[in-house]
Amino acid sequence: MKAFRQIGALIRKDLGLQFRSKETLVLIFVFSVLVVLIFAFAFGPIFPEKVERGKLTASVLWTAFVFAGIISLNRSFILERSHGALHGIRLTGVDASNLYLSKVVSNVVFLFLLEIVITPIALQFLDLLDVVTVGILLKLFGVLSIGTLGFCAVGVLLAGMSTSANGGESLLSVILLPLVIPIIMGGAKCTVSLLVTGGLEGGFWLKLLAGYSLIFLASAYLLADAVIEE
Amino acid sequence: MRLRASQLTKDFGHRTIVKNATLSVHPGEVVTIFGPNGAGKTTLIKILATLLKPTSGKLEIEGTDAIADSSDVRRMLGVVIHENLAYPSFSPYENLRFFGQMYGIKQLEHRATALLAEVGLQRFLHEPLRIFSRGMTQRFMIARALLHAPSVLLLDEPFSGLDASARQFVLARIAKEQQKGTGIVITTHNTELGYLAGTRFLFMINGELEEVAQKDEIEAETLLLTYEERLTDNAPKGL
Repeated sequence: MKAFRQIGALIRKDLGLQFRSKETLVLIFVFSVLVVLIFAFAFGPIFPEKVERGKLTASVLWTAFVFAGIISLNRSFILERSHGALHGIRLTGVDASNLYLSKVVSNVVFLFLLEIVITPIALQFLDLLDVVTVGILLKLFGVLSIGTLGFCAVGVLLAGMSTSANGGESLLSVILLPLVIPIIMGGAKCTVSLLVTGGLEGGFWLKLLAGYSLIFLASAYLLADAVIEE
Repeated sequence: MRLRASQLTKDFGHRTIVKNATLSVHPGEVVTIFGPNGAGKTTLIKILATLLKPTSGKLEIEGTDAIADSSDVRRMLGVVIHENLAYPSFSPYENLRFFGQMYGIKQLEHRATALLAEVGLQRFLHEPLRIFSRGMTQRFMIARALLHAPSVLLLDEPFSGLDASARQFVLARIAKEQQKGTGIVITTHNTELGYLAGTRFLFMINGELEEVAQKDEIEAETLLLTYEERLTDNAPKGL
């Protein structure tokens, strides 16, 4: 019960901070819209066939979400470290694994809200909105949420380490991107499949995405103590 | 024994910042550590607060090994250091409510409001911490440190940046906590205020702790003279 209460308080605090300052919110929203618009202008206004449009949209979405995710992860740890608030939290005796878990959940919620807003904008600008049904859209959000969970499971652990180092913000991109390649591959392939065929052909990429995300979540949960304590 | 540290050493690279520091604090005792800038006082406080791991040595808080079981020990500590240990975009009340939830404090709203009133921040309960002056922030830090009624208080330069009334407030609060049996460690370079607050005095110079005297064994003027002598003895050559 104590752990649930602490995790709940940490998530509410994280989301409260993010929505209050709006700094990260505006930054990642503008960044994501910009990515969509650049691709839309570069490839439009007359788009290729549905298969190519599906591939293009998947590329746009995952490019936007991966880089927005890096910004969000960096910002969420900078807020903790800039005035020693992370020390303050550690002094309450909270378990580092619970602190890790709360950061994963709050970043997943934050990024997923962004994805809910950006995905229809991308589908509209890349001329796919009229062919995507509500069912496909829901499956797409399912894939995005699993991918975001995996991304944040890896990212929170690495952001916890990198933001305490000099040049931590750029360091996170360097160390995170190679580790999330299976997530990006699985997520992008699932997204293409959904946008082109409406299904997940065989489900190999979905299994890779979900499996990798869960394995990393469990491993990072166990490693959090060593990382956050140091 | 509230706190017992023995042979604590902290190295950063090739530099030893804290050298074999040995210290004990009993219930109701206020140990004041005087030292110049760069003496290692803040590093020592961070080690005692379990925010830094020592390179070697032992630390016990309330009889528990604070290096091996730091999570359990931390709840017994109230800490004031140079950082806020809080969120600047939250108000003092929101910060105390959040940290109180983390500590699992009952009747939290009442406790937070009463503490903030006690430190003189009742008019600023809902203002963001980032607009606070140094003195107001220090008052908030003291409220935050006392929120969970800790048995050990670690105060790093608690008087710095404070005006006369705020200094009197901090002194009075330290005396109140002492009467309750809290073990208190203060680091400061202000001999006058450190003498008023403390019951036992130590010097920390070049990372080494040196026991000086109990309060009833030494006058304030003698303490100041002894401190200045020790600083002169250890001043870098050529200054």
